[in-house]
Amino acid sequence: MNTSAAQLRERSRALAPGVGLSLARGVAPLVACLVLAVALQIAVRPLMGDYAAKLVLDIGVAVILAVSLTIVNGFTGQFSMGHAGFLAVGGYASGAVTYYGSLKVWGSAATHGGLLSGRPMSVDPSTLPLIGSGDLLFVGALLVGGLTAAALGLIVGLPSLRLRGDYLAIVTLGFGEIVRVCIQQTGPVIRTAAEAAQVPAWKLATSVGGALGFTGIPKYTSLFWVWLIAGITIMVAYRLKRSTYGRAFLSIREDEIASEAMGVNTTRYKVWAFVISAFFAGIAGGLFAHTLGVGLSAEAAGFLKSFDIIIMVVLGGLGSVSGAALAAMVVTLLPEWLRGKHVGPVDLSQYRLVIYALALILMMIFRPKGLLGVAELWDRSLWTSLAARLKRLAGGKGGSR
Amino acid sequence: MSGSDVILDVRGVSKSFGGLKAVQDFSLSLSQGGLKGLIGPNGAGKTTVFNLLTGVYRPDAGTVRLGGANLVGLRPCAIAEAGMARTFQNIRLFGQLSVLDNVRLACHLRSSGTMTGAVLGSVFARGQERAMTERARELLRLFDLADREDEEARNLPYGDQRRLEIARALATGPAVLLLDEPAAGMNPQEKVELRQLIRRVRQEFKVTILLIEHDMGLVMDVCERIAVLDYGQVIAEGTPAEVQSNPRVVEAYLGEAPAEAGHA
Ligand SMILES: Nc1ncnc2c1ncn2[C@@H]1O[C@H](COP(=O)(O)OP(=O)(O)OP(=O)(O)O)[C@@H](O)[C@H]1O
Ligand SMILES: [Mg+2]
Repeated sequence: MNTSAAQLRERSRALAPGVGLSLARGVAPLVACLVLAVALQIAVRPLMGDYAAKLVLDIGVAVILAVSLTIVNGFTGQFSMGHAGFLAVGGYASGAVTYYGSLKVWGSAATHGGLLSGRPMSVDPSTLPLIGSGDLLFVGALLVGGLTAAALGLIVGLPSLRLRGDYLAIVTLGFGEIVRVCIQQTGPVIRTAAEAAQVPAWKLATSVGGALGFTGIPKYTSLFWVWLIAGITIMVAYRLKRSTYGRAFLSIREDEIASEAMGVNTTRYKVWAFVISAFFAGIAGGLFAHTLGVGLSAEAAGFLKSFDIIIMVVLGGLGSVSGAALAAMVVTLLPEWLRGKHVGPVDLSQYRLVIYALALILMMIFRPKGLLGVAELWDRSLWTSLAARLKRLAGGKGGSR
Repeated sequence: MSGSDVILDVRGVSKSFGGLKAVQDFSLSLSQGGLKGLIGPNGAGKTTVFNLLTGVYRPDAGTVRLGGANLVGLRPCAIAEAGMARTFQNIRLFGQLSVLDNVRLACHLRSSGTMTGAVLGSVFARGQERAMTERARELLRLFDLADREDEEARNLPYGDQRRLEIARALATGPAVLLLDEPAAGMNPQEKVELRQLIRRVRQEFKVTILLIEHDMGLVMDVCERIAVLDYGQVIAEGTPAEVQSNPRVVEAYLGEAPAEAGHA
């Protein structure tokens, strides 16, 4: 009786479920995601005002950012502080692809999307196909954004994750700032197709607006794309967590020495987590860059943005996918809710960061694991322990009376 | 002991921390399927020997051969893959993970498949997951932990945590198992059961065991041979009877405290 690779493989074959079941359970959530995202765009969006729609869209992007950061900060317990750097890299890379791609293909940066993507109000939806040729360019651009961010994640993660402890925090903090400064050094956006045709491709990639910001990106992002990708991100993160790789991630967070002693190559898995996380942050950046009303600028890479995302992950519970998603919603809605709220002469919306800090301090005191800890909303153990706590609380009160 | 059935061969290993020579010129060989004890007063360097064997520290000098291959310089995870597993004196479980997940994590080392397969939920990945779960449950049953599989590891009583550490180490499929004071903190009843368990593990898993333990009753009972460490050096090696009557050993222990009460 011993665990060997050959034995495990043999048992795996014997115990493997049928292809049908595997396919159903593997694909069903994806299909559900797709259907919900289509319904959101086609059926629900027309009922919403623009303000509400923008909020729901912002929440979706925040969910992607928070859930992706959870893979590093929550699962592996490493502390990345430069998530917004990957957001910005993804945003600029994908923005450059759609903007200059559109100039080359259509001669202008106008959108060529379908029913499911964002479009100017002037376009009559009845003339549109479900998916337009511009959507394909957009999806390709998102992938480019994600992969560029992932590649940078590898470059940043490989050296810093070999080292113990706080190095990653310092390096990623620096990374965000470097990205910000680099973006500020880029050249002005080239405005006409004729001009763009004369310039080599690498030059186009660095003509993204500099300190003035990258304007003119076609606005493809819609509730459909955002929530489809948010759903996929949640699914990937949750499945990773529940898999043997997720256990490897979590074991690093729990005890790196023991993890390594049990045969986990901790450096490799930390780098993997970091790269996957950067990939989704890059995609979120792409969605952000193509959102109507968003001016993409170097500030997107700044520390304040990274801090927002860290808050979401910590509040939601380090290691909880649904917790991060929930906190992303709360943290996105909070400033909106605070807007115009006054306590005496104090305008609360100016004190957003103070409120975060207070929330964090309260969390440290009363629930240091974060809202959900490592559990998920749908874990039964979360609710049974909550019920037990409430009962104890009620019992305690009864006793003191 | 013939030379050919030696599975672990340690020669001339040394390690200093600053000016402190924690382990000096340490040599030891384990024959296939053997059960050897490593004893010595507090601070003698026993745990440091384990840390050197498993790659937590790199030896200043010497070689560690497992089945012929030199392990010096390898990462701890590579040493685990080569077939060396250990438990920790100061328990190092994955506290917030469930008992089952602690053992399943250790099965990961021998698993095959890809991350993409796991995320997409491929047939093989699902089978692998089930195989690992089955394997982990088998181990938990043997260690009497089956009915606690969903509990967080940190919530287990001390004795259960010690046994879970052994189960987890075995899940990596080791050829050599290093146990660092498995009886520490156990009550007398648990200690008696532990003796049985160690014997059983040795038989059923065909592993070679090196055991650090302060409980002399247990060591003398289960070990075939014993090495005694004092100030980082091996001062005696032999059968329990030989070691017990060795004057240097008696002196090493009496210099500190009587052997029986060697450790609380
Ligand atoms: N990382 C380290 N840095 C500095 N000194 C160390 C380190 N690890 C161990 N030592 C020292 O090396 C010596 C041997 O320690 P070790 O833990 O190996 O002893 P031990 O035989 O396991 O003792 P015990 O029976 O108390 O567990 C001690 O003096 C200890 O303080
Ligand atoms: Mg020790």
